[in-house]
Amino acid sequence: MSLKINPAFVEKVLVRFIRDELGKHGFKKGILGLSGGLDSSVCACLAARALGPRNVLGLIMPYGGSFSPDVRDAEKMGRTLGIRTRTIDIAPQVDVYFAAHPTRSRVLRGNKMARERMSILYDYSAREKALILGTSNKTELLIGYGTLHGDMASAVNPLGDLYKTQVRQLARHLGVPASIVRKAPTAGLWSGQTDEGEIGITYAELDAVLERLVECRMTGPEAIKAGSPPAKVKRIAAMIRDSEFKRKLPPIAKLSSRSVGHDFLYPYDWGK
Amino acid sequence: MKVALAQIAPSLGDVDRNLETHLEFIDKARRAKVDLLVFPELSLTGYTLKDLAGDVALNPATDPRFKKILDRSRGLSIVLGFMEESATAKGLFYNAAAFVFSGKILHVHRKVFLPTNGLFEEAKFFAQGRDFRVFSTPFGRAGLLICRDFLHYGASYVLFTGGADMIIAISAAPGRGVAGADDAFETSRMWELMGEAMSYFSTAFVLYTNRVGIEDGVSFAGGSFIYDPAGRLLARAAYLDPEFLVRRFDLTAVREARTRRLFRRDEKPEVILRSLERVVRVPED
Repeated sequence: MSLKINPAFVEKVLVRFIRDELGKHGFKKGILGLSGGLDSSVCACLAARALGPRNVLGLIMPYGGSFSPDVRDAEKMGRTLGIRTRTIDIAPQVDVYFAAHPTRSRVLRGNKMARERMSILYDYSAREKALILGTSNKTELLIGYGTLHGDMASAVNPLGDLYKTQVRQLARHLGVPASIVRKAPTAGLWSGQTDEGEIGITYAELDAVLERLVECRMTGPEAIKAGSPPAKVKRIAAMIRDSEFKRKLPPIAKLSSRSVGHDFLYPYDWGK
Repeated sequence: MKVALAQIAPSLGDVDRNLETHLEFIDKARRAKVDLLVFPELSLTGYTLKDLAGDVALNPATDPRFKKILDRSRGLSIVLGFMEESATAKGLFYNAAAFVFSGKILHVHRKVFLPTNGLFEEAKFFAQGRDFRVFSTPFGRAGLLICRDFLHYGASYVLFTGGADMIIAISAAPGRGVAGADDAFETSRMWELMGEAMSYFSTAFVLYTNRVGIEDGVSFAGGSFIYDPAGRLLARAAYLDPEFLVRRFDLTAVREARTRRLFRRDEKPEVILRSLERVVRVPED
């Protein structure tokens, strides 16, 4: 097994997914947060091809620093694709909150920022009648590296079944600029943060272990026997287990014989 | 004879809309002078039904929507997929396929193998069929299979020994695996492998109509095909995209194949049956 993908075919499937899913639900337009990083750039490329560039709106939502390299990359990506972009500095609304509720925790501040971006995306989704395209990849979803109701929130997610290293393969095929493909991935929770620095494992290592645990359905000991570093396997297995709540709707206390989420079961594309 | 495979993307849970699509394709088939038109699995309802199964189930003998299809079937054979609830089995919803011709239902097959694992949850919502049967059509003997039925080769074996000239499999097969070099999901190869093997060793035509479109994020793979009784691929529809695949072939190819390769003449179903009975009686022999 290998995480190698046929990027031309993946593009074909995902372009149809975006077009079909939005079309069925009566939407022509898609909206997404553009960070200047890999995942949102790839998602924007796919959306532009699926919906036509003018039907895609990329919201660039820095915390201050509107002239940072990431903002410049995001704006450049938007221009290259010919999609509409809008830059909104989230600092005022974040600052007003933390002035009243101060904290030194970078994680608390970062999560709040991710949720501010989410609330702006949902507001613009309604204003523009545009459906929100998610950009969480499979690696992040599996280890729970994302802010619940923040960057994990979306209406449809074209990237959720691609590992980070696969998103990178797709990016090269789609012609995403090398500067973005090579950039150190960051959740942008604070300045200078990198995913790999914070998680303490590179995406290449992470994906190799996830491939064994998830795709090949190996147990931890089997993955270690196959050559994965024991400490990393244990850590990653724990991250998967401890983040299941982020991949689920909250459990509903069952009382009746037909309860939402338990035995009231309808498809998402009901009647579409 | 001329066959058309309607590789469509049904709407999920909207029988009226799907009925319109069926009528359009029936007209199209008529204009193309088609003898047999084959729709995919659950073509009248869509696939990922869950609790909608009961809402969209119909009795083909009495349902006015089904009658519209029957009324348009004069001189045209049609295979379609639907959720069946018969008068004698109320509350039991079968994933079914009907073969209709000139206003008559010649056969209804209820899916036997209901995949219920991973992304599949059919046995959770559908009742299980219990029979495979060959029936007469205006052009020889045929048998119907639904999707997973076709992957259990015992099902095709029953149709083969029952004398089927044609194995018709209708499908809603999701695509999985994107590492292949081809412009297709890796799982498409599995269906083609079975199509090739079953047509060759059954010395029968294999018609396979798969659907396309996306339900709840799952892409159906398309790639409908026709294999001739020599195991040769006669035609294959596009992967992923809708297509109306029309192909003419000569049924005498069955006779030709069976005189060259004597699998059918030399088959010993009574020996297989005796052996199977022992397997069933003593599973851990």
